[in-house]
Amino acid sequence: MRPVAYPVLARRRLCPDVFLIELDAPGLAQRVKPGQFLNIRVGDGPDPLLRRPLSVCDADEGRVRLAFRVVGRGTALLARTRTGDRLDVLGPLGRPAPAPRNRNVLLVGGGIGIAPLLFTARRLATGNRVHAVLGARTREQLILRREFRALGTKPILTTDDGSLGFPGPVIEPAADAAAKLDRPLVFTCGPKPMLRALVRRLDPVPVWGFIEERMGCGTGICYCCALPRKGGGWVRFCADGPVVLLNEVAW
Amino acid sequence: MSVRLAGLEFASPVLAASGTWEFGLRFADVSNQLGGIVTKGITLEPRAGNPPPRIAECPGGIINSVGLENPGLATFVGHFLPRIGRLRCRVIVNVAGSRPGEYAELVERLAHPRVDAFELNVSCPNVREGGTAFGASPAAVERITRLCRRRTKKPLIVKLTANFVDPAETARAAEAGGADAVTVLNTLFGLALGPEGRPFLGGRTGGVSGPCLKPFALYCVDRVAPAIGIPVVACGGVMNGADAADFLSAGARLVQVGSASLADPQAPGRVARELATFCRARRLRDWDDLVGRTRREN
Repeated sequence: MRPVAYPVLARRRLCPDVFLIELDAPGLAQRVKPGQFLNIRVGDGPDPLLRRPLSVCDADEGRVRLAFRVVGRGTALLARTRTGDRLDVLGPLGRPAPAPRNRNVLLVGGGIGIAPLLFTARRLATGNRVHAVLGARTREQLILRREFRALGTKPILTTDDGSLGFPGPVIEPAADAAAKLDRPLVFTCGPKPMLRALVRRLDPVPVWGFIEERMGCGTGICYCCALPRKGGGWVRFCADGPVVLLNEVAW
Repeated sequence: MSVRLAGLEFASPVLAASGTWEFGLRFADVSNQLGGIVTKGITLEPRAGNPPPRIAECPGGIINSVGLENPGLATFVGHFLPRIGRLRCRVIVNVAGSRPGEYAELVERLAHPRVDAFELNVSCPNVREGGTAFGASPAAVERITRLCRRRTKKPLIVKLTANFVDPAETARAAEAGGADAVTVLNTLFGLALGPEGRPFLGGRTGGVSGPCLKPFALYCVDRVAPAIGIPVVACGGVMNGADAADFLSAGARLVQVGSASLADPQAPGRVARELATFCRARRLRDWDDLVGRTRREN
């Protein structure tokens, strides 16, 4: 497991605080699986010390795309990346999400959590029936709508301010969609309160969540990322995840 | 160019520091690139560690409050130790107790041929019992070292703290207790606050490590090395070969790479290569040409 520097083919802004970086990375694009993440070095020196874990938003035809929201100093530095730069990448890391065959798959994404579900939708589109419920605060922040449609998924959209689709959070539309499906397999990514509400609302349907929280190393060695497991102990979500069965998490 | 410490030969002076390379098994294929690994700290019983979040960043460093999470002695011996045999470097097991007697029990029960030495962790900043409370007391350091000395013939390296104590004093205490070397130093106390002014880390406070610690760690090595007759193992913000060379110059015989491995798990091997290149470029034939030159005349 060695860091590799990949050339940046493009950087664009998806909405005011979300950026997409496209890497020229043929081997990586072939190797990476939905649910896995890349650990990205930001800046040139030892500060910030830690890499920033980013889930893969999409990968095909030799290109890997990463989408991220600017939330702090690290992601702000990353947003300054320009075409022609090289990005120092460690990965793919983490265990891939389960890869079902011939199932009803329901993807539920909120905000920047929509990003990794696009790659999941692409890989699961053949051999499964993929449904999606995507939500954001506003129409502007409801990213990647066109890309989902291009895959043949007709996502149900929601916005908190009602500027597009159903007004309100994704929970109820997701519950309606799940109720109509036979043995749905649910994958979700989004803010923690959304994941918590969704797994509670869909109970006992198994819900696989893509955990996007602070990590130390991303490789399982530092024991800094820990989600409480029902019945005690921790899920080390960098190495045991980042896709975890949310029904087993004690939030 | 190998180096000896407490009768053990190390292929390189560079080690992976405790808690930053787990048990080395994830990188067994590159373990031959470094002198050795210090394992994650082991306690008699399994420890769950502190609630998350367990890590925060500061400029040039990190603040962790893992709280010694580990599988406990029985699982370590039954599950990890047999696999550690695959590592192609020295294996130093870091042990921690909440009472002095626990250290002695740990080293006795770890009398396994693949364990080359022990690092006595009397300096963890993230536990309520023991840890830095032992490390701040020369009497406790000497007692723990002596209890362990009676129960094992393997080399004992005492990992010291500088949290509200002069590490030169505790280093002398470790030497008096029969230690073969001291590690200088564990993380320094640190506090990270969230935007509301409340403690950010689940363990409330944490331990600071990373390159921001290097000037202080270097100062401590320069202070401790001449104060004792046993070797110093340096630890504190080593990011590259030049950093490692600085610590050897200041008087350390071995040097650990810690937080750097969180950014790049290949860091210990890379630092070892860079240090070797550094020495070749200066035509140094022996590590002794480098070690301690900070205080050498001319």
